[in-house]
Amino acid sequence: MTQQFDYPPDREADSAAKVRALEALLIEKGVITPTTVDKVLGYFESEMTPLNGKKIVARAWVDPAFAELLANDTPAAIAQLDLPQGMAGAEGEHIAAVINQPGVHNLVICTLCSCFPWPVLGLPPYWYKDPTFRARAAREPRTVLTELGVPLDDTTEVRVWDASGHSRWFVVPARPAGTEGWTEEQLAGLVTTESMIGVAIVPPPPIEAGTAR
Amino acid sequence: MKLQHALGGLEGLGPVDFEKNVFVEDWEKRIFGIHVALMGLSSSLRDSLPGYDPQAAGTTFRSTWTWADLRKGAEAMNPFDYFKFRYYEKWLGGISAYCVEQGYLSADELAQAAGQLHEGTGTPPSSGGAGIDDQVIRYLREGDSPRRGPATPRFPVGDTVLVADPPHGAHTRLPGYLRGHRGVIQSVAEGNYAYFCSTGGDGLGDPVPVYVVRFEPAEIWGDTAEAGPSPLYAELYEPYLLPATD
Repeated sequence: MTQQFDYPPDREADSAAKVRALEALLIEKGVITPTTVDKVLGYFESEMTPLNGKKIVARAWVDPAFAELLANDTPAAIAQLDLPQGMAGAEGEHIAAVINQPGVHNLVICTLCSCFPWPVLGLPPYWYKDPTFRARAAREPRTVLTELGVPLDDTTEVRVWDASGHSRWFVVPARPAGTEGWTEEQLAGLVTTESMIGVAIVPPPPIEAGTAR
Repeated sequence: MKLQHALGGLEGLGPVDFEKNVFVEDWEKRIFGIHVALMGLSSSLRDSLPGYDPQAAGTTFRSTWTWADLRKGAEAMNPFDYFKFRYYEKWLGGISAYCVEQGYLSADELAQAAGQLHEGTGTPPSSGGAGIDDQVIRYLREGDSPRRGPATPRFPVGDTVLVADPPHGAHTRLPGYLRGHRGVIQSVAEGNYAYFCSTGGDGLGDPVPVYVVRFEPAEIWGDTAEAGPSPLYAELYEPYLLPATD
């Protein structure tokens, strides 16, 4: 990461010791147990991951009725899928999908903190929490998107969603060309976390050898 | 005004660090887990819709710890430190200070334990019951929706509104760059929404209507707005909005 300030050489070791001390003392005082933190982490490593969002997007790509419901009543649509219990749990209480269409590209930001739809996308990547991204994406979304690899022409509408209230937005990216007839599982494999926040598009799959037209 | 309250639109910054990892150091996972655990054990959850009872789960935690508390800590930072420290470094500082302030541990205990762990001696003790972990996971699965009661909106969709300029308090959910600007009500939330705590003169706390408001970039940024259509949508609590009188 970029270095703009001076840090002590034991910066990370010091933080690591401090957090271990804090956890140990909270256990000793009976606030949490020796397994609490691991269980929380396990929940996000095994159940609440971006795979949930990828499955939602893939279903929307193959099922227009689902896509319409997803746009109009996101929780109802998500509830139709076989996803882990807790999709309306913490940071998923009020999830709303915003849909990319021809001429419309959505970008989700949080300028006040780092609000993120945990059950759909898992935990936020570092760039999303970066003050520089949060500051710049509000004022110059097109410039930021170009820098991150999503150049948009001047006629494409960029809708920027600043998550300052209860809603937790995520983006349904456009289905790439060259995926006709693909299964939902195959399609889900193309979707990235970044595309579901709006800083990436889902590129067409590479044409495999022997299938050139 | 605090920088953290008006981060959106700050100029003169360099390129975005496109780091895609959630954690860049292993220790960061631990403070994330502690934060979630304290949220799941917060005494404020007694008033939540799922009707949690964290005390019955066996925790000694008797305080309120919500997103609002974490955010207040970050908003209270010196703005240079806000940029200096990584995301989870801010969490570690804020949560540690809170636990000391609330009397769960002392600064000396923390420093001593950290020193021992730094040296590689000392091991975390073992105790506690499964009820605590179950409560935390239940909180994750069932959440803590702030929705309370039917919507009582003052503004209909399509109304032009003026973003208010309330006194600057310790904590706000009003993005500073929107203060004083006009937008159009895009949608009205179906219910009213409470906030974790009172933000004082800022106006949040009790259930209020919430709106998604659409802003045109030229209205916010003037001549420096980027060319091309790029509406910005912000979800704003009703106390932050005034009728636009033209």
